[in-house]
Amino acid sequence: MRIMSTRWLAMGGAALLLAVPACNNDLTVAPQSNITSGNIFSDTTSYRAFLAKLYAGLAVTGQSGPDGKPDISGIDEGFSQYVRGYWQLQELPTDEAIIGWGDTGLPELNTQTWSAANPFTTAMYARIFYQVALANEFLRQTSDAQLSARGTAAALVTEVQGYRAEARFLRALSYYHALDLFGNVPIVDENFDISKLPVQAARSDVFAFVEKELKEARAGLPARSTGSYYGRASQQAVDMTLAHLYLNAKVWTGTDRSADALAAASSAIAGGGSLDTSIPHLFQADNNTSPEILFSIPFDGNHTRTWGGMTYLIHASVGDNMDAAASGIDGGWYGLRLRPSAVERYAGGASSTDLRAQFIRTAGRTEDIANVGSSNNGYALAKFRNVTADGKPGSNLTFPDTDYPMYRLADAYLIYAEAFLRGGGGSQGTALGYVNALRTRANATPIGAAELTLPFILDERGRELLWEGMRRQDLIRFGQFSTAGIWQWKGGTHDGEVTSANHDLYPIPANELSANPTLKQNPGY
Amino acid sequence: MLRTVIHGAVATMLASAPLLAQTGTIAGRVLTADDAQPIPGAQILVLGTNAGAVTREDGRYSLTVRPGRYTVRALRIGFGADTVRNVVVTAGATTTADFRLRPAATALSGIVVVGYGTQEAKDVTGSVATVGTEEFNTGRVVSPEALIRGKVAGVQVADNNEPGGGIAVRVRGGTSVNASNEPLYVIDGVPIDVGGGSTVSGRNGLNFLNPNDIETVTVLKDASATAIYGNRGANGVVIITTKSGASQPQVMYTGTVSGSRVVGGPEMLTADQYRAAVTQYAATNVPSLGSANTDWLAAIEQNAGGQEHNLDFAGKRDAALYRLGLGYLDQEGVLIGTRTRRASASLNYSDLLLNDRLALRTHLRGSRSVDDFTPNAVLGEAVAFAPTQPIYTSTGEYYQYRDPTTGNLIGLAPNNPLEDLKYLQDRGTILRSIGSVEGEYRLPWLQGLSVTARGSFDSNRADRNSFTPSTVASQLKGDPTLAGSLSRANHSELHTVADAFATYRHDLPMLDRGSVDLTVGVSAENFNGSYNGYSARGLSTNLLGYNGVPTFKEASPGVSVQEHRLRSQFARGNLSLKDRYLFTATVRRDGSSRFGPDNQWGVFPSAAFAWRMSEEPMLKDLLPVSDLKLRVSWGKNGNESIGCNYCAYGSYEVGGPQAQAQLGSDFVTTIRPIAFDANLHWETTTSTDVGIDFGLLRNRFSVSIDGYTKTTDDLLFAVPTAAGTALSNSVLTNIGSVRNRGFEFMLDGKLIDGGRRGFTWLANFNASHNSNELLTLGRPGLTSIATGGIAGGVGTNIQVLQPGQPVNSFFVYRHREANGKVVVTGPDTAMYVDVNGDKIINTSDLRPFHSPAPKWIIGHTSNFSWRNFDASTTLRAYLGNYVYNNVASNLGNYSVLTSPYAPVNLSASVLQYGFTRPQYLSDLYVEDASFLRMDNLTVGYTFDRLGQVRNPRVFGTIQNVFTKTSYSGVDPTANINGIDNNVYPRSRTFVGGVTIGF
Repeated sequence: MRIMSTRWLAMGGAALLLAVPACNNDLTVAPQSNITSGNIFSDTTSYRAFLAKLYAGLAVTGQSGPDGKPDISGIDEGFSQYVRGYWQLQELPTDEAIIGWGDTGLPELNTQTWSAANPFTTAMYARIFYQVALANEFLRQTSDAQLSARGTAAALVTEVQGYRAEARFLRALSYYHALDLFGNVPIVDENFDISKLPVQAARSDVFAFVEKELKEARAGLPARSTGSYYGRASQQAVDMTLAHLYLNAKVWTGTDRSADALAAASSAIAGGGSLDTSIPHLFQADNNTSPEILFSIPFDGNHTRTWGGMTYLIHASVGDNMDAAASGIDGGWYGLRLRPSAVERYAGGASSTDLRAQFIRTAGRTEDIANVGSSNNGYALAKFRNVTADGKPGSNLTFPDTDYPMYRLADAYLIYAEAFLRGGGGSQGTALGYVNALRTRANATPIGAAELTLPFILDERGRELLWEGMRRQDLIRFGQFSTAGIWQWKGGTHDGEVTSANHDLYPIPANELSANPTLKQNPGY
Repeated sequence: MLRTVIHGAVATMLASAPLLAQTGTIAGRVLTADDAQPIPGAQILVLGTNAGAVTREDGRYSLTVRPGRYTVRALRIGFGADTVRNVVVTAGATTTADFRLRPAATALSGIVVVGYGTQEAKDVTGSVATVGTEEFNTGRVVSPEALIRGKVAGVQVADNNEPGGGIAVRVRGGTSVNASNEPLYVIDGVPIDVGGGSTVSGRNGLNFLNPNDIETVTVLKDASATAIYGNRGANGVVIITTKSGASQPQVMYTGTVSGSRVVGGPEMLTADQYRAAVTQYAATNVPSLGSANTDWLAAIEQNAGGQEHNLDFAGKRDAALYRLGLGYLDQEGVLIGTRTRRASASLNYSDLLLNDRLALRTHLRGSRSVDDFTPNAVLGEAVAFAPTQPIYTSTGEYYQYRDPTTGNLIGLAPNNPLEDLKYLQDRGTILRSIGSVEGEYRLPWLQGLSVTARGSFDSNRADRNSFTPSTVASQLKGDPTLAGSLSRANHSELHTVADAFATYRHDLPMLDRGSVDLTVGVSAENFNGSYNGYSARGLSTNLLGYNGVPTFKEASPGVSVQEHRLRSQFARGNLSLKDRYLFTATVRRDGSSRFGPDNQWGVFPSAAFAWRMSEEPMLKDLLPVSDLKLRVSWGKNGNESIGCNYCAYGSYEVGGPQAQAQLGSDFVTTIRPIAFDANLHWETTTSTDVGIDFGLLRNRFSVSIDGYTKTTDDLLFAVPTAAGTALSNSVLTNIGSVRNRGFEFMLDGKLIDGGRRGFTWLANFNASHNSNELLTLGRPGLTSIATGGIAGGVGTNIQVLQPGQPVNSFFVYRHREANGKVVVTGPDTAMYVDVNGDKIINTSDLRPFHSPAPKWIIGHTSNFSWRNFDASTTLRAYLGNYVYNNVASNLGNYSVLTSPYAPVNLSASVLQYGFTRPQYLSDLYVEDASFLRMDNLTVGYTFDRLGQVRNPRVFGTIQNVFTKTSYSGVDPTANINGIDNNVYPRSRTFVGGVTIGF
């Protein structure tokens, strides 16, 4: 008996030895330093924090400014910034700007020689759809069903309804950019089953989606992007986006919508704001106080830091023989220059008395760009600066306080004039008045009715909105981007040459085609 | 009888008091078979018991066992085992058992450490290689893995010129791209984490272990051997066994001093060449050229000194074996500021309790490492600074590039490296302790059954502190309110392992020398880490360095808590029939917390068969070779080292204070939903191995040849997501496949056997060939993923993942040649081949071109002895490895001189090609970096006896005696990723030392 019991004891002990490590089989180890989807909305401020991410997606590149924890991958984080990417695709292939750096894929933008693998077009596409995915997730998480399931207080529900309108505006804004740059992209909204592959939409369908979304969101938005809505969606921002949409409708859908463009521009103008008496102030560190800017993407030296956005625009514009301190920064990046065609648009070129030419810098430089890589080939443009109207530098010398003016009143004036000339109604007197208001402010000679023509409008947009991320869209609308229109280094040669019509659209990125084989590449790529 | 034994044993357990057992003694001598010389250090095993002994200097041993009939075996590395059967022991009497051992190479004999146990080499069915103390690399070895560099076929131990620099070991090629390629390290049975805090605060996660404490390093290469480590075995397993006690008390001191100097650095223009270049290509910069002749690289280099002291106390008292090892190392690097120091203590203790049925083993070690780092930027600054500029200005300040008109510092110009060396501080401190307690109990009622339980811990406290005062140029160039910065990282980690396993060994006499050996066990591992960091900029004073936080302008603290758990069950069975048909099967079931609920558990099986043909009676006399064994194995392993603990969980990440969005006048901190794949799971490697081992000339030579193929599926890639369907443009997903195929050859032999005092030459030769191929990226349309970021441009990538090519192949333009010369002028279309014929040179014209991984790795070790002299040397060669010379591509063009910010120096490659603008993506910079290197050469002399001092030995070693290569950069072994951008300079080290024993 004793033998039996001790044997069992020994065996039991052995079994215990084997069993002890196995018993704690709990393998669920939830993240502790991250917030999980389970508890995120237990804190009601999360709605606003999530909305803030939707806006931050336009300004910063990740969760740790200026870099770190990036939103998208496969490209240098600074290169992936929304405004930087958008601006480069709208400006570098045009007669306005050129960049001297040799980063892989960048020279291809200067010369319209990109391929479907171009890292910058790929990153812009990813950035756009990152915004779309974020907005969709926000809309899913804030549906009526979700809000009531969480027992959300009525006041908060009302507030979140406003956020939802803002999310829809932001999604539509990015789709408007996709429509312009890439054309035929899939439409993915919050109701789409994301386990399936999105279906490619015709450009006209994307157009219709953007139009519908903007119109529906408009009602839930405040009239203006001012005060507590500074930097945020507003009816005026919707109107400006619609005005651009309709103005380009002929190119994007085949149907002229000039009348709608004129109406949208009129609505934006009627919404409020006035021309800034100081042209430089529009592009300075305190441009948030400009009465002319209708919608901007805010940057801040302390709070909103990125290597893209205004950091890029201001630093890259500063180079040889330029005073970095005059631009409110700690040093230039020697990148961006003007193409001669942009300089020559001002009467008298670089020495023009047109106040819009005052930003041109010529010291130690040639106007001609003999060598793209030489940073003193080509005049510089110190238009965007990190100094305030009274000459003080921004809060940080690396990361500017200057906000990116996406829409301003001058743009609305020129859209009105152009829509009028394209048969969209309105009055010639109003159109002429708008144009001359800009010219008068700029110390340029007012024009007469006979001079108010479409070619004049294209040039005037080039003068007024130089380097403001509009040029490619404008040139395409006027048929001057690819098969017509010559400027230095277009097509890869010094004197420039025409390119094929397919360049009016960027290619759907090769990566996207691999991830979604149902998509068809844009023609010519 | 059996019941009595059980009764007695259990009574012993319960009473916890020693019984006076009647015992007898086995004693004898172990001699060489050829010339009857004594063999010290041979291991004597009494099979079926835990009794054992180690022979003394004269080859004698004695041990006590209970009365009975025993089989006794003698083992010694370098010799074939010898067995004496039917040794009858009676109480109170001494029975003699003598052994004669025949020299043999290690591959075929001796005891081999395998996962959760040991095996006799003859019974091993997998591909396992052991390197012992005598074969280790000599000289100044800071990191343990460097001991076996060049010693084992199929194992690449990456070079790192920094003393104790980072760890990178590849066993049979890399299996992964985004998960770890590092093998699992197991020290005395306990898996060790070599990443985490140790790599942030120190140079290498294994540096806490003093190489002097190591007895053997065993590499498990094929799945038959590694599958017992389940989801961590895919990259092989490196088992480190530390030294244990000695048969008689001994004190041993080894001390060395060393000096190192630079033997390789990047070739830049001299001052005269630079002057000529500026005059010709950047005339406008001539006025600011300067008149000095400065060798900036020489200015930041030093002749590095080092010293190391090791003191061992080892011995035996009754059944207790102990060893205490104390070590101190202090080694400088050849760049000023580089230094590593380590103080280590190691205690191994084992004893037999409870009537010798319970073997208790403890390992306890602790070390403190202090690493001083040369500030990161210094090397790049010294490379780039113009040789015509002086170190100091006429007023004795550090010279800096300044705008000639304003006198302001130029932002994009390099800073004076000497100033950074003087003022910047960067130090890592690691306090790491690992320990284990292990009890192995031989169960009394069933002969051959034992149960082992083990608990172990690995505790790590790793700090990294750095400080940059506000007065140095780099700070003055930026925002003045943010000048001066400090950063502190304090990491603490605790890794605990509890495991238990039962082993049953049983002879099967009916199967003619058959035997079975079963192991079944469980293990539970928990890993907890806490990572705290703090950095501040805009310091109000420089007086506190990194030791205090004065008033600051900006601070960013960070906290991260990490946890990881692993639960496992495993089993292994070995069956031996007729002592010549060997079967092994293993299985491990692992559960990991890193993956989602549906993907946590995985089963990893393996099977192997070996046929000892030479034991086949029909073949025995026909074969021209001895100990011929054929092996074949198959198995699966996982790789769960995916770099994050929570990748399979949906979570939200809070944004930092500088990534806020402005809503109205408020700056709002954001939250971001993180893109994730809930189905994430480990990568799975399936491998097969076919091998043959044999001896020649009565085992004077032993040969092992292996062929293998390893296919890794469910490879993790960050693959593009379809636009709009995920919360990022790419998500880490198990989607690709990669394959490594190769073969290995190892030859160990005694080329010349001059007897005990005659001329003897032992040699090892190993060679391996591996070819790596990415099979698929998992998406038909996904043709490539760019990798390999370089210096030059922003976001420029030089490598690619492309199906059909080796992982990380270089991805470059093909440079045109005309009349046998490289075309260096004209537009891109003139210089590069337009591969797709669209008359444009763009990213579509990049093509894969070679890869960094060596095709062949060849190693050779020779050990010579003659009378009291000994000598050894290790030679190593890589063939077919390519390196991208990033220094040449970045600074090898004349446009650098005209850059509007201060002109910097050029790579001497500019004299060869004469480029006027950067050609980062040219295949010219992808160079064949095959090399032959003599890693070390040691000569020693052992005195016969000096008074009380036992066999003192003096020795001298030269490391990196020579390197033959056509590679033009600093070092053909530059970097395991194949990109040479200011790698730490290569050096030659001279070591002198003495060993004294008492």
